[in-house]
Amino acid sequence: MPYSFPLGPYHPALEEPFKVKVQCRGEVIESATVEVGFSYRGIELLAQKRNWVEVITLIERVCGICSNTHAMTFCMAAETIAGIELPKRAAHIRTIIAELERLHSHLLWAGVGAEDIGFHSLFMEVFTLRERVMDTLEAISGNRVNYGMNCIGGVLRDIPDPAAHLPALDALAKGLGEIVIPTFTQNPTALARTRGVGRLSREQAVEWAVVGPVARASGLDIDVRKDQPYLSYADLGFESVVRPEGDVQARVVVRALEMMESVRLIREALLSLPPGPLRATQGLPEIPAGEATIRTEAPRGEAFYYVASEGGASPARVKIRTPSFVNIPAIEPMVMGQTLADLSIIQASVDPCISCTDR
Amino acid sequence: MAMLKTILGNLLRPSRTRAPADMPVVPPTYRGALTHDAGRCTACGTCAFVCAPKAIHFTQEPGVSVSWHFFIGQCSFCGLCEQNCPTRAIHLRADVPGSMNSASGDGLRLESVIRLQPCTRCGAAHVPLPAATMDALWAAGADEAERGYCPDCRRWAASARLRTAFIPDGAVAEGGRHDR
Ligand code: SF4
Ligand code: SF4
Repeated sequence: MPYSFPLGPYHPALEEPFKVKVQCRGEVIESATVEVGFSYRGIELLAQKRNWVEVITLIERVCGICSNTHAMTFCMAAETIAGIELPKRAAHIRTIIAELERLHSHLLWAGVGAEDIGFHSLFMEVFTLRERVMDTLEAISGNRVNYGMNCIGGVLRDIPDPAAHLPALDALAKGLGEIVIPTFTQNPTALARTRGVGRLSREQAVEWAVVGPVARASGLDIDVRKDQPYLSYADLGFESVVRPEGDVQARVVVRALEMMESVRLIREALLSLPPGPLRATQGLPEIPAGEATIRTEAPRGEAFYYVASEGGASPARVKIRTPSFVNIPAIEPMVMGQTLADLSIIQASVDPCISCTDR
Repeated sequence: MAMLKTILGNLLRPSRTRAPADMPVVPPTYRGALTHDAGRCTACGTCAFVCAPKAIHFTQEPGVSVSWHFFIGQCSFCGLCEQNCPTRAIHLRADVPGSMNSASGDGLRLESVIRLQPCTRCGAAHVPLPAATMDALWAAGADEAERGYCPDCRRWAASARLRTAFIPDGAVAEGGRHDR
């Protein structure tokens, strides 16, 4: 006897509201529909009513996890319109913050994923590691979230003593290499809940236009950091991580190996921090008329910004397309034919970020 | 057996939970309790301009004072007001912000009153320059009498100085009395 079952919007697996309505026959999911829009805040419209300085603070609140990515991408768009060239030191600092943010986002996800499969001790291990990242972010920016590092034309805060952050990176690399990655890839409990679960084939990945780690776990080698290097990625060298399997396990492995790559990038950026100014401009920004589109690789995939200016005090239009916007619908093909109990880990494997999808 | 080993191993290891003593140090960049120094503020409005959640606003009593208001409930601790204040009147200190350590709601609002002063030349009420700024400006040797001037009179005095520098006293022709 088929029945339909609403999961959410108050969610057992995630902190944010979204709804998956599944049709089941017995234990098995036959189809699913995803509904979003429960935390809509109208940020794009608000952005047209705030001046160029205030918008950065506002845009930083698009997402609570990858807040820096959004503020940074917006600033990059404004810099493109105004023809401001970012000083090298600022580019390195932005890269460091962006990669630290990716680390903390992926670790957060790994912890939540571990909890979804009932693996609480792994959750604790992961969050102990994540705390090191948060401490580093706090030491650099003064805040654990919403770092407020970006301004149009550069960054607001310096990293005066780059070497001070290296021990935390060592501890992270050790923890990831010795505990998190082996547990996710070898522990029988973790394997039983992730291997072969929630498959998304390469063809489906193309069809559903997924981005970020979800695409890379289905064999699509797309990463803005490699395809269209921005900030310091071209200088630092970047290797993308791709897996062909397309299941939850592959998404775990892609994110885990990406974290190792992030640790390497941060270490290199810290060691090669070039001298120079933090900002290309002083005082309040003046943005001439024009428009720009910018893509960056957020922790969850490609973030796309379109910013238009009419030369006034506020942007004329800020269009934001976040990675989860395309990744969340791909839950529908992933859960088909899977058991109901796997629904929560499958949707968590996409790392859906609802607040940035709804904006 | 394996489980026994793990339990024994854990018993012999020190706790991994953070004790209060090994909390991470509060970084110097931490953005906590906000303070405002009325003595340095020129009521220029820059802080209110850059504050996205509109935590800062001004009220005025015409001819008497301008008040700078801050409501911590709207503050997002972005630190932009501190970064952009031209006279460094705002400071986000490393203490815990007021709203978090007070259940009664004290410290939620700040108000600084900036008294207007009459101009010593024309009498117009104006916001005086902060003492530090004045000292820096007047160290260059401006006329002490100009300290009490309003911005308009300062501008007038400056252009008068320029004029006398370019046009020697005797050379001012008849009818050359431009007032601006
Ligand atoms: S606090 Fe600073 S920015 Fe704000 S009005 Fe006073 S002088 Fe201007
Ligand atoms: S810290 Fe930011 S939000 Fe708070 S008053 Fe200053 S500008 Fe406004």
